[in-house]
Amino acid sequence: MSDFLVITRAAKSFAGARVLDGVDLGVKRGEFVSLLGPSGCGKTTLLRIVAGLLAPDAGTVRLDGEDITARPPHRRDVGVVFQNYALFPHLTVAENVAFGLAARRAPRERIRATVARFLDLVHMQDFADRSVRALSGGQQQRVAVARALAVGPKLLLLDEPFSALDRKLRETMQIELKRLLRELSTTAVFVTHDQDEALMMSDRIAVISRGAIEQLADPATIYHRPATPFVLGFVGLSTRISGSVIEAHEGQVVLSTPHGRLRASGSLPPGAKAFVAVRPERIEVAPTAGKGNQIELPLRDVVFQGSKVQLHFDVAEGDRVIVEAAQLPNLRIEPGARLRLSFAAADAIAFQSESS
Amino acid sequence: MRARAREPLDPVGWLALPAVAYLLFIYALPLLLLLAHAVMGPQGFTLAPLAAFFADPFNWQVIANTLRIAALVTLVCLVIGYPTAFALAWSAGWTQVILLAAIILPLSVGVVVKAFAWQIVLRRDGVLSSAMMKLGLWDEPLRLLFTETGLVLGAANVFLPFMILPIYSVVKLIDPRLNEAGATLGATPVYRFRRVVLPLTLPGVVTGVVFVFSLSIAMYVIPSLLIGDRFQTLATLIGRSFLFMRNEQLGSTTATVLLVLAVAVVVGSGVLARRLGRSA
Repeated sequence: MSDFLVITRAAKSFAGARVLDGVDLGVKRGEFVSLLGPSGCGKTTLLRIVAGLLAPDAGTVRLDGEDITARPPHRRDVGVVFQNYALFPHLTVAENVAFGLAARRAPRERIRATVARFLDLVHMQDFADRSVRALSGGQQQRVAVARALAVGPKLLLLDEPFSALDRKLRETMQIELKRLLRELSTTAVFVTHDQDEALMMSDRIAVISRGAIEQLADPATIYHRPATPFVLGFVGLSTRISGSVIEAHEGQVVLSTPHGRLRASGSLPPGAKAFVAVRPERIEVAPTAGKGNQIELPLRDVVFQGSKVQLHFDVAEGDRVIVEAAQLPNLRIEPGARLRLSFAAADAIAFQSESS
Repeated sequence: MRARAREPLDPVGWLALPAVAYLLFIYALPLLLLLAHAVMGPQGFTLAPLAAFFADPFNWQVIANTLRIAALVTLVCLVIGYPTAFALAWSAGWTQVILLAAIILPLSVGVVVKAFAWQIVLRRDGVLSSAMMKLGLWDEPLRLLFTETGLVLGAANVFLPFMILPIYSVVKLIDPRLNEAGATLGATPVYRFRRVVLPLTLPGVVTGVVFVFSLSIAMYVIPSLLIGDRFQTLATLIGRSFLFMRNEQLGSTTATVLLVLAVAVVVGSGVLARRLGRSA
């Protein structure tokens, strides 16, 4: 395999509870891969195993062709940006960034130049001699990133580095970090529970649930072609209409639902209980010409969200229909009105119902 | 402490009023009156008693004894107490409860009881001597009782909690992620200890050292019981002056010397620690 980081069948249990269930993951050189999942899914455990801060019960970790499974963290060349940044409180900003280089006994002049370069890269050059205790959250994060990158690690791990920042600052920092890592062509693995963050920053996303990877793909595939109901539910919103399969051929199925027949992609046997999922922005309201599936439903709520409008419809228990549009369709619509909706069969995916 | 000193007077400080008033009348005033004896002769102010004190080579010996014993006790407490504080801070559940009990409970046993217990251990036919013989480390039974080694070991036993607890309280506050961060930056365990853990625990070490040093420079009962009259420290000399020789002036003079020494060492170690902390 040509992957730069290769995790093979990594498993870990804590007090009898299986946290990682034999995970395989390959990351290419220079790639930015996110581990996305709810808290407790094992993503941080996997990150700590790669960093060498935790020993796996089974499985191997290979980096740049070498098996590093048994190697202590200080001999791995794997940098970590911790969730709380873990800056050394007794050192200045510059001393924090210099720490790794000094520990590797780099010559004084090189340390000085490298520290200056990385503080410059994260726009913290004016803070070099400040105590890290006096910094804001965003500034601490910049220092943590500079400190981890200054030693030139083969791999950078980021453990929810934005979770302590407020929303506006977070978006700025995400764009900044993404650009910095691309400039330095750093290979990075990023742990997050925030789907927007993962979609925005990653080359590929590994969606993790209960210690196993549900799907590993680029963000567009994760969003538009989720492989499992878990990925569908965890990433983004979706409409969901239940029914049963009545026809199936060549990766296409037809479902019989309370709202009529619906065509979707998927391979399920006729007779199976299933549901059709569609992303809310892929549904059109009151189309002049129908495209594929058509349903008519009473409107329940209109939710204004600034750049878009969300329409919620009344459907049977357990189902939901949500439509997102850039603006309200050009007609007076109020809750209770019956609207005609349509969506293409190619935008709809059929999943087997979890209960069946 | 440094930061607080620069701030304007905080009204919260008034909450210390009862303690300040109590200490003023029960501690500071009597102490001042006592110390005044050292510099007040029949003809008013005089430095003669102090000059006489320092002119006697025996007193220099006593000062040396006092400082040496206090320094050794502090050192033993630090060497034993430093790792113990980490064990206490990083253990969990019952282990921590048992450790904490083992450290705090001995405080409830009086010094006199402990000193007599130590006599049993340190005798020529005592527990320690027999154990060393059995292990083959000593060729013949040795008596540690009434020796400086015995005194240091006994005193360190009594004062150990005062070293462990302040260090424990700073270790508990250290984020374990700092050590991990150091490791991922390529620092060896030794480097991490030297540049991260040690500087961060230094304030606790200074507090512990000051506690133990102040306690052992002034201890009276422990040397009286574990080493006897042949070996004098400033504290036992003060006791002898007042109780047996009825020489209040000598007692007050010795007390002054002891106080000045103790304050000098305490302040000096604080300054030193601050400088170490800054350069580390």
